[in-house]
Amino acid sequence: MKATDTVLAELRKSATLPATAVAAGIAVLGCAGIALLNAVHVRDAPAAGRADLVGYTAPAEAVFSAAPLGAVGAVVLGVTAVSSEYAINSPGAGGGRQVLATLTAIPRRPELLVAKALVVALLVAATAAVALPVSLAIVHAVAGPVAADGLLARSVGAGIYWMLTALMAMAVTVFARGGVLPLIVLITNSSLVSVSVLLAKVTPLAFWLPDLAGMRLFAGDLVVGADRALDAPTGGLVMAAWTAALLAAAAAVLVRRDA
Amino acid sequence: MGGAVAAELVKIWTLPAAAATALGTALAAALLTGVVAASADGIDAVAAVLAVVPPLQVGPVLLGVLIVASEYSGTQARTTLTAVPDRTVALVGKTTAFLVAVTATSAASCAAGLVVARVVAGGTASPSPVAGAAAHLALIGLLAFALALLLRALVPALVGALGTLLVVPPMLASVTEHARWLPDRAGSALYLPDSAAVLAPGVGLLVLVGWITVVGGAAAWAFLLRDA
Repeated sequence: MKATDTVLAELRKSATLPATAVAAGIAVLGCAGIALLNAVHVRDAPAAGRADLVGYTAPAEAVFSAAPLGAVGAVVLGVTAVSSEYAINSPGAGGGRQVLATLTAIPRRPELLVAKALVVALLVAATAAVALPVSLAIVHAVAGPVAADGLLARSVGAGIYWMLTALMAMAVTVFARGGVLPLIVLITNSSLVSVSVLLAKVTPLAFWLPDLAGMRLFAGDLVVGADRALDAPTGGLVMAAWTAALLAAAAAVLVRRDA
Repeated sequence: MGGAVAAELVKIWTLPAAAATALGTALAAALLTGVVAASADGIDAVAAVLAVVPPLQVGPVLLGVLIVASEYSGTQARTTLTAVPDRTVALVGKTTAFLVAVTATSAASCAAGLVVARVVAGGTASPSPVAGAAAHLALIGLLAFALALLLRALVPALVGALGTLLVVPPMLASVTEHARWLPDRAGSALYLPDSAAVLAPGVGLLVLVGWITVVGGAAAWAFLLRDA
């Protein structure tokens, strides 16, 4: 098979997974829903004389405070792209695993991982390209014009954050060869009570961990700890370096280990 | 019925992932509580334990999802129903066995956290909120168990439960006071009785039990009527 065939095959496999549809749904509907709630709140709170209850009044924040939900969708997408290969089929149908068929068709394992990474990045980018503009449009319609200042950079930043998150989820799943552990670790860490945030209270080195390093790609000044976080370009590069290192390790593991 | 409960207990006990989850939850409780107690100056031991309850919810959730999903990842569900054809008995037996496991896990985790926090930070506050935290964790586990029984698959149940319990509440809480009706917020009234703008302990418990009743009722209905 040519390299493009490999990518197309992986794209077809990933795009037809039910979990991929769910992941895209979480990202798009979740972001739009939270953005709508935030926008209503931003619009109504000052009028009700309770502006003190809102952490922010800028409509732009209403969009990007929903970004962690998109990261959850990205995690689900990245994890299931790999874990579906290792899921054991029903014993009535032979109890096999798809990975054996995959590696028979594509014996060059690094090529397989590169194709999978490309597909995951592509699917996340497509999801972000829908989720963020929809959220922006909702906020624009409900809470009024969104300030254009830095909007494009933060939107692209959120998309990059999701993409890197999905690629790291994918790499971790290659180590684990199953979906449970990566899903737990990464979804828990996407929440506001993440282990990284807890660690950041102990040592500023925690801001170099992958999830906190990239937070300034989209997060505004009002997010907890944002004042101490790495700035967007540095943090993005640190996060990209983590991703590259994890993918390289995943490739080494995938090449050396029995399927 | 006693036989069904005993059989389900043996299945849980011999499921390596379940044992690892229970042990891991207790270890994580001790570790996280130690970190919190060491990092915050002047924090009381009990407050340190309560601060780590939200991330600890992962343990009971995983326990509930694993115990159900392991039956459906192969043919064990059919074996179970061949051995115990009365589905009501099978359901009650499994739920009882799970409650034993999750209560033991939650209680052990909270106790381990409390011991570590007392050693690290000291403190003299009454430990009764910690018992409430253990009850909250057990009920959250039951909710995940019911969700997994309804969905019969590991990944959707895990993503649904973790998302509802850990990711969505902080986001909703920043925009609407109605976030207090979410299961983990309602249950937190069991161990944070004096926090503002949440429900009274009794009401919080009722709301959490209501969630479990709705999801568990749907799961029980599906389990009794659906093909295995």
